[in-house]
Amino acid sequence: MNVVVCVKQIPDPATPGEMDSQTNTLKRDGKLIMDDSDSYGVEMGLQLAEQAGGGEVTLVSMAQDGETSGLRTALAMGAAKAILVSDPALKGSDALSTAKALSKAISRANPDLILMATESTDGYTGTTPVQVAELLGLPSVTFAKKITVDGSSIKVERQTEAGYDEVTCPLPAVVTVTAGVVEPRYPNFKGIMDAKKKPVEELTVSDLGLDVSEVGSSGSRQEVFEIVAADARQAGEKVVDEGEAHQKVIEFFEQLKLI
Amino acid sequence: MNFIESDEQLMLRESVAKIASKYGHSYYVEKAKNNEKPVELWNELATNGYLGVNMPSEFGGGGMGIYELAIVLEETAAQGCPLLMLVVSPAICAPIINQFGTSELKNEFLPRFATGELIMAFAITEPDAGSNSHNLSVTATKDGEVYRLNGTKYFISGVDEAEAILVVTRTSVDESTKKGRLSLFVVDTNSKGLDRQILPVEITAPEKQFTLYFDNVEVPASRLIGTEGDGLKQVFQGLNPERIMVSAMAIGAGRYALAKASQYARDRRVWDVPIGSHQGLSHPLAIAKINLELASLMAKKAAWLYDNSMDAAEAANMAKYSAAEAAIQALDQAIQTHGGLGISTEVGLADFWGSVRLMRTAPVSREMILNFVASHSLDLPKSY
Repeated sequence: MNVVVCVKQIPDPATPGEMDSQTNTLKRDGKLIMDDSDSYGVEMGLQLAEQAGGGEVTLVSMAQDGETSGLRTALAMGAAKAILVSDPALKGSDALSTAKALSKAISRANPDLILMATESTDGYTGTTPVQVAELLGLPSVTFAKKITVDGSSIKVERQTEAGYDEVTCPLPAVVTVTAGVVEPRYPNFKGIMDAKKKPVEELTVSDLGLDVSEVGSSGSRQEVFEIVAADARQAGEKVVDEGEAHQKVIEFFEQLKLI
Repeated sequence: MNFIESDEQLMLRESVAKIASKYGHSYYVEKAKNNEKPVELWNELATNGYLGVNMPSEFGGGGMGIYELAIVLEETAAQGCPLLMLVVSPAICAPIINQFGTSELKNEFLPRFATGELIMAFAITEPDAGSNSHNLSVTATKDGEVYRLNGTKYFISGVDEAEAILVVTRTSVDESTKKGRLSLFVVDTNSKGLDRQILPVEITAPEKQFTLYFDNVEVPASRLIGTEGDGLKQVFQGLNPERIMVSAMAIGAGRYALAKASQYARDRRVWDVPIGSHQGLSHPLAIAKINLELASLMAKKAAWLYDNSMDAAEAANMAKYSAAEAAIQALDQAIQTHGGLGISTEVGLADFWGSVRLMRTAPVSREMILNFVASHSLDLPKSY
């Protein structure tokens, strides 16, 4: 069972992000860390490879300037190797350009299964995984909370608002994993010490057989015109209890169709 | 020259901090108050190989040094749960056995130090010897294939959770100097004739202190460390790591206190500004931060010297002195910053006072360090 897990390296969400005033996009010059929401995919990939009794997890990532610091955590957790797409031409990529680069890199690893987070913590478009599936001509299942491998297919419990769907899907496939469904392991000390020895294959856009015009700002169909502050949240309705408050609370819940 | 920790060291810090933060200070205090041990935290760190980072890789350890073990302790302390037995078991006992023990002893104990499965206590302090380790009264007398141990030790940490104790004894006396010749033994905690009594202290910590009574305790000669009479040299091997580890624990505790204090000083508003904008509160916190960082630099230097087989005694002593003083200052100022709340149980600072204040006294007192620096570093006449 060879699993590719896509890992996004993002600016640390704990530090205030800075926007580029020219492009209206997030600045990504500093040290990057692994998007926490990807740690669930890494954990699930490792578990599936372990359960299958063979195979390995390969990370696929895209970042500027050959940045690998965000990959080391996932390598320390147990991923075997990484493919990093890094090219100045990728700057300004939108979701689709990113999907083009990722899908080319993924196909080099020839995986049985591709796991991605449902969305990234810095971009939040949530569209890249399905674009990757489309470009690779593979089925995609989103919002997985559990994956079971059954021969050449998988059974996925797919989180819905009402509960979950059971979906069966042939392999290979692209599956997005929701946060919190597995407990990501901590890298053990041996893993930490071995992480640096694990291979990270760095590829450029032309290595992937793509033309620079297809990716980055030149390949992007998306343009951010303006960034505005979100509206302040309106204060909620205050219910003062004069003996009738419970009725108002019930009405409120009924309005929301909670009861 | 490089002051940047490696990616591996940073990842170790981050991973230990993440694990310890799941438990936190309230877990630690609850364990202490219920007379329980922080087993869950210890085991989770052990499972990930963090408790054996300084053990040789041929015995299943991480193959790194005291620097990495100090990272583990500092990060647990910074989350409010300092694991005292990390100072004793993998930092004092294990390196002594590794350097001086027979291959049988190494094979018996080191793999289990590496997994964190084995906890070993260390018994040197005695009621009548104090800081004068030459004058120990616990004796070990050879009797055929065994040694018989007699005497009393006190302030021995964690005996109730230790499987064995590394005991410093006197096996003979040098007639010319009248000083005791020391020998170290690994003694099973449940040995016949070994009694223990809890020594009550005003410290909120899961690890308890004990008085140990040795009444003709029989120890196989195979449990002697190295050559009989060579104990003083062996003890010195364990003392520098002990000081480095206590420095790390103090620095972690100081970070814990300062984090709480600065958070509170940012959030708490009296009149119309956060109290942290008043220099009466911000400056003492800034000074505490400076002293903590200085102590941390010295502790890292000491660990680096030790790991590179250089003389670490001066740096380890200076680190322990400055780390203890910095931690006490940080905790005291953190309590002050919180006003009356500083003493509340909920805030979780005042209960740390016993542990942090102790570090000015143990494992070596502030005054003994000053004696050492005066005579060793400044070549001033010795007072004793």
